[in-house]
Amino acid sequence: MAKKNLSIAYRILHIFTYHPWLKLISLILAVIVWLYVKEEMFIAQ
Amino acid sequence: MNSTAIFIHWKAIVEILILWFVLYQVMLFFEGTRAIQVVRGIALILVAFFFFQKFGLERLDWLFRNFFATSVIALLIIFHPEIRQGLARLGQRNLFVSAMDEEELDQMLKEICKAADSLSGYKIGALIALEMHDPLSGYVESGVLIDSKVSSELIQAIFTPNNPLHDGGMIIQRGRIASAGALFPLVQRLDIDRIFGTRHRAALGLSEETDAVVITVSEERQDISLIYQGKLYANLNHENLFLKAKEIIQAGK
Repeated sequence: MAKKNLSIAYRILHIFTYHPWLKLISLILAVIVWLYVKEEMFIAQ
Repeated sequence: MNSTAIFIHWKAIVEILILWFVLYQVMLFFEGTRAIQVVRGIALILVAFFFFQKFGLERLDWLFRNFFATSVIALLIIFHPEIRQGLARLGQRNLFVSAMDEEELDQMLKEICKAADSLSGYKIGALIALEMHDPLSGYVESGVLIDSKVSSELIQAIFTPNNPLHDGGMIIQRGRIASAGALFPLVQRLDIDRIFGTRHRAALGLSEETDAVVITVSEERQDISLIYQGKLYANLNHENLFLKAKEIIQAGK
């Protein structure tokens, strides 16, 4: 049980420590792409 | 806020999260290869393009719109080997790594680290690739098939000079030594330090084309290195090698 908990904690920590910049840049890009598509769809309507 | 507005916001968050996941996977996929510079460039152009539109800079917007459309064709031509490799890798995922439990993984890594340590002490070079998700079957076939349990003694015996299999790489698949004397692709990058010989270049080449964890032992410098996704972790000792390899393999599950 303890081994499983450690593994989950490790995985959660890993989300923040593994390529944090790549995650941040991709999030910014995702928001920009979404806003752009939203605007384009609005213009098309 | 009525229920329709909440539903729309909920959908927007889901859409952004899916977009984020896809973009992150694309960037992660190209990380460590020379194509990551292109991905970064495209990201920068997209950000600039968005701001030009937002602030109504019509001429710059027009310029970027036309420039971007034509540059995509040029990028496809220049980076066609990377794109081809990438598309080939997309359909070749396997999940064997998760089939090994932590105890088996520890045992396998201990044997490899022990062998690397001994080989380094005797000034004997070695090249060992551990298959992760991308299948190494094509490279396995270029060597001599072994299919044996991973043991420190066997690894040392294979890399001992004058052994017919000592030249080339060893591939470990599904926790077993699949083959030895295998040929790995050499890295194409020119920014590699000249102190690294063919063994390290082969290790870097394989790590750029696949997600394999590659361990090298230098016969001249007695240096143990771990190479993963084009990144080289040099001067590792027995313990550091174990921890680094375990961290990467567990993270990749």
